[in-house]
Amino acid sequence: MNDFTPVLLIAGKDIRQELRSRAITVATLFFAAITLVILAFAVGSDEAILTQIAPGALWVALAFAGVISAAQSYAAEGEENAFEQLLLYPIPRASIYLGKLISNWVYMGFLALILLPTTAVLFDLPLGSHRGALLLTLALGTLGFALIATFYAALTANLRARDSLLPVLMFPVVVPILLAAVRATTSLMQFGNLEMASDWIQLLAGFDLAYLVVCTAIFRFVVDE
Amino acid sequence: MSSDRTTTHPLRPRPLWLNLLAAASLLLVGAGFYLGLVVSPPDVNQGELIRIMYAHVSAAWVCFLAVIIAAVYGMLYLWKGRPMDDVRGTAHAELATIFAGLTIIGGMTYSKPTLNTFWTWDAKLTLTALLFALLVGYFVVRGLIDDRDRRARVSAVVAIIVLASLPFNWMAAEWFRTLHPAKSFDVSASGVSDSADPIFRWILLFNVFAVAVTYVWFSIERIRIGRAQVGLEEQRETTPVTMREAIDV
Repeated sequence: MNDFTPVLLIAGKDIRQELRSRAITVATLFFAAITLVILAFAVGSDEAILTQIAPGALWVALAFAGVISAAQSYAAEGEENAFEQLLLYPIPRASIYLGKLISNWVYMGFLALILLPTTAVLFDLPLGSHRGALLLTLALGTLGFALIATFYAALTANLRARDSLLPVLMFPVVVPILLAAVRATTSLMQFGNLEMASDWIQLLAGFDLAYLVVCTAIFRFVVDE
Repeated sequence: MSSDRTTTHPLRPRPLWLNLLAAASLLLVGAGFYLGLVVSPPDVNQGELIRIMYAHVSAAWVCFLAVIIAAVYGMLYLWKGRPMDDVRGTAHAELATIFAGLTIIGGMTYSKPTLNTFWTWDAKLTLTALLFALLVGYFVVRGLIDDRDRRARVSAVVAIIVLASLPFNWMAAEWFRTLHPAKSFDVSASGVSDSADPIFRWILLFNVFAVAVTYVWFSIERIRIGRAQVGLEEQRETTPVTMREAIDV
């Protein structure tokens, strides 16, 4: 058993739990789809504008759904004091963060894979020819959201008003992710311009790396009792 | 009562140098006003609006300084666990919030006559607005945690995240209007161009100095209040319930 085993065990536990209960899927999948529809209605029926805002709509729906899924993943730990038992294990606190990060990332990635074709259909925007770069953008963008959401969800998990507090805290931090992900997606899907997208993808990667280090390093202060 | 456990002294006598610092701050700010409003000639391009710049830029610089100092005290708290570092960090975060608010107001005041709108998605203004939102989040979280140690720890963590987000938010705000990220950074953030008469820069620097001294003065006053608060809380915790009436005035 090396240092990474507990991380995978915690991630596996969360994913298995979700596969059995489907609590997060029910809460977020349709919510994200409805967000897309609402945004389409709000913008109107002008197809040119719809196509233009499609990448933005996709990432807004993902961001909203990501907040809910991260909050849910700790809400489940609140039952029967499960989280305190998790803290009792003789493993670094960072393992808990990384485990939950992986499960949240996997879930958000799954959501992104469903929402991407949904957006493409609803907003009439073809996926374009750079499918690989598009998948990379989705992976790095959802990782950025998951990093911040998992971190702040642990912080707000046992506070009053946590449901409204989590987005208030995390959205100002994820603004760069939202911007870079939307711009990369726009470059790839609307303009088919890989070179333009690659700079935004680099920004995403830099953000992910920096916060992976910072959040992993200080996570134990968030959950210590 | 419990002087062995109490690490702080609630009511320290007010030192003379603090009053001198307060007087110096007020004098400096007054002199800065005089320089900015009377001595400074109107700018070639901006006209009389340059006078807003003196106050606006000073507030902005001090605001970012305060955020950095708040995060440094946050790190110190996580490292050493001294309650006073939490008090100091919070004092600086409070001042950062106030100066961020002043920066936004100054920016909007400047924006209305020049661009005929109160809000532009200007990079620096957007960055300050995001920073303001982050700092408000800091105080919302603080207000929701009752346990003193946990509150201090979580505040320190949030302060560190706020500092870490600054460079990324800066990039995001800078590139918000462009389709393509820039390869270089423009650091001449003062709003006073290099080719202009040097008197503008001297007056600006004087104002920044005056506001910075005022900021130091405010932070010391706020830390004194914070120290008294911590002392009172410690006294309450170590006093038997039956004796509390003597303290709760």
